[in-house]
Amino acid sequence: MIDGIGDYLAGALIVVGALFALTASFGLLRLPDVYTRMHAASKAGTLGSCLMLIALAVHIGEFATTLRALAGVVFFLLTAPISAHLLAKAAYSAGYRMWRGSVSDDLAETVTAPKKNGLVGTER
Amino acid sequence: MIPFRNELILALVWVAISGSYSIPNLAFGFVIGWIVLFLVREQLQTTKVVIRPIALLLLIALFIKELVLSAFKVAKLVLSPRMDIKPGIFAYPLKVDRDFEITLLANLITLTPGTLSVDVSDDRRTLFVHGMDCSDPDQARRDISQGFERRILEAFR
Amino acid sequence: MSGAAFLNICATFALGVLTISFLLVVVRVLKGPSLPDRILALDMLVAVAIGFIAVLGLRSGVTLYVDVAIALGLVGFLATVAFARFVMSGGVDAIKEEAEEDRP
Repeated sequence: MIDGIGDYLAGALIVVGALFALTASFGLLRLPDVYTRMHAASKAGTLGSCLMLIALAVHIGEFATTLRALAGVVFFLLTAPISAHLLAKAAYSAGYRMWRGSVSDDLAETVTAPKKNGLVGTER
Repeated sequence: MIPFRNELILALVWVAISGSYSIPNLAFGFVIGWIVLFLVREQLQTTKVVIRPIALLLLIALFIKELVLSAFKVAKLVLSPRMDIKPGIFAYPLKVDRDFEITLLANLITLTPGTLSVDVSDDRRTLFVHGMDCSDPDQARRDISQGFERRILEAFR
Repeated sequence: MSGAAFLNICATFALGVLTISFLLVVVRVLKGPSLPDRILALDMLVAVAIGFIAVLGLRSGVTLYVDVAIALGLVGFLATVAFARFVMSGGVDAIKEEAEEDRP
């Protein structure tokens, strides 16, 4: 990689990535319930850390390390939606309700029957 | 079909991540890969998968575009002074039926604008999706089936 | 302005922005109000920490930071999965209830 361009690209990438991380944490504070917060964390947060890892890969410019950093990016892209999905499912099946402004809930009709431990119906 | 294909892929990933390109390290990675696949052998499906490279590249391109778009959308929503959202969960009837396709679709949905997959029904026909803007579920359903699901069907059938 | 100087300014700015977002996420961890909220905030904390490590690696040029970031991502993912299983099994309340049932 040509020195100058690599540095400028890496600098721009980390600034954009950091700003995405900031919006994600801002969303975590402002949004009303756990499910909407998950949107902010799983999208903007993932993109933010991925951009910063890509910046690191660009900057180092050494084949083995760049490959490792890119493997980290792929790994992060694969795991972030899985953990968000699992947490959403867990929160829903443990009975955490959605924000009162929510407009529809198709899932409610299917989980009326109590599942294992009989915990689904408990109010919190 | 190459014998020990999955073990070989895991061994190559191991070599890339450990950063030491030597034959003993490749063999070590192969052994680890074999042990890992031996441990999860009961969960693995043995369906034959056809991969179309060009369609797969299109799917990846669509995914990256949607991820960037969705991050911008979340940023815009969060930074607007009055948050005007109508969140909700809608059911999405699945056309794909194999486990890995459902997993892939659910993950892609989670990383796209305003949608987050929550649960799959026990018969694997319906995906429950939490939408940031659930005022028009039909439009959201159409977006998914025209976008990712079509591309997945093109790439793996 | 040379590339290295630009990168240095960018890295300092990014560290500042990441510190602010780190503090915002910590506020969410403290405020709660429910267990999944806190788990989600901890997950986000790991993502911000990975960003920190990437920027530190950029500034210092030490390639070992890449491995640290990957390891932290792995640990964070496993922690979130474990926490989610814990919530799915009923969380703290279920354990309390079980303890009360065991009491004679």
